[in-house]
Amino acid sequence: MTMRIITAGLILSIFFACSSSKKSEEQAFLEGLDTTKAEGPTISEEVIGDILQSIPAPLEISVLLKESGKKYNVAYLNSPDNVSKYNSNYKKALNLGVYGTDLGYTNIYEQNQDGIKYMASIKELADGLNIGQFFEIETIGRLATNSKNLDSLLLITTQNFNRINHHLQTQSRANLSVLLLTGGWLEAVHVICEVGKANPDNKEMRETIGEQKVILENIILLLSFYKESDPNMASLLTDMEGLKKSFEKVNITYTYKESTFEIVDGVMVIKDNSTSTIDITPQNVEEISSIISTIRTKITS
Amino acid sequence: MKKLLIFVFSVCVLSTMDVIAQCNAENLSTQCIPKLASGFNFLKSYKIEKGGKEFVEYSYVFTKGTQYMINICAAGANTDGIVVSLFDSNRNKVASSKVQGQFISAIAYPCNTTGIYYIQYTFDGSTSYCGGSALGFKR
Repeated sequence: MTMRIITAGLILSIFFACSSSKKSEEQAFLEGLDTTKAEGPTISEEVIGDILQSIPAPLEISVLLKESGKKYNVAYLNSPDNVSKYNSNYKKALNLGVYGTDLGYTNIYEQNQDGIKYMASIKELADGLNIGQFFEIETIGRLATNSKNLDSLLLITTQNFNRINHHLQTQSRANLSVLLLTGGWLEAVHVICEVGKANPDNKEMRETIGEQKVILENIILLLSFYKESDPNMASLLTDMEGLKKSFEKVNITYTYKESTFEIVDGVMVIKDNSTSTIDITPQNVEEISSIISTIRTKITS
Repeated sequence: MKKLLIFVFSVCVLSTMDVIAQCNAENLSTQCIPKLASGFNFLKSYKIEKGGKEFVEYSYVFTKGTQYMINICAAGANTDGIVVSLFDSNRNKVASSKVQGQFISAIAYPCNTTGIYYIQYTFDGSTSYCGGSALGFKR
């Protein structure tokens, strides 16, 4: 009899060890989430996650601008004071992305005073979306005060945004991730359009604008998954499809050629022998810029 | 009764072994970040966990005029048989980190053509089928 009780106890202890005690905590958290969580996209969250992570970070455009010698201009950015206007999760997520791009821009140009203002606005929006824990504001603020910390600063801010996106997806809130990335992308394209308009003869700027055609297609795809379930995202999708019509006038041609390589200091350095040309006129830039400006005004006002 | 106790004991031991053998791809991908060469800005880290799949794949839009670096970190020796290959949007292979039997731990790719690229991790004689990777860029 005693042995039977011990045996039963051992078997039960195995079952308890296998069960997750975190489930009840996770369930409680999910139930406490904002009620404006989208009812559900028309495709699996895993597929959405795959597409989301393919979208480039706006940081690339900020670095391009800095290294092209273009001067810093805070007028291009969305004022951090506008944060008080954003009361819905829709506007908060979009403008979290917008401010993320703005912060990256100020960081690259080492404009620390402006950067601090953006960090405060970002923290406010993130708290409003229950993701404030991902922003180590004190650490970021400390790094921002010293130009020698630029690499660390960029690393931390990039990691923070990557973690936020991952967290939102695991919490079935990928809709906010989509909005965050859309806002960030829109702001980056807005900045480069403003620079492009000021430098109409700069072919590199025009081509960078033209290349956004590729990313826009992915953004439209992501938004389309929510058009049935979220009227705000459906409206944004309509705006983006209008933008797509302007990008259809941009021609990108691609010629594949096999690449070659050499090994340098243990790293395989590839020589990409393929080429591409991007045909985009200053008039195309004007049209794209105008539509971007209209959409941006809608989401930042 | 003896057989039942042996069975229960075996389950306990095997469960423990399973925990020890779990893939810590998250840690490995984080370890890869500082291993990006000087001048490269971090973009993303990727977990490499084979699971039941033939390969692990991610995608990213690479931009013309930008140089990208992808590296591999594994628990065992060198890359532990993990190979990273890069494919363009038409699935042409543009790079692979295994050449002439040698496993290279990082690829630097100066991009000439903007588009979606597929970053694919395969396993060639791997022991743990587990690793991490980081993607960085510079202009």
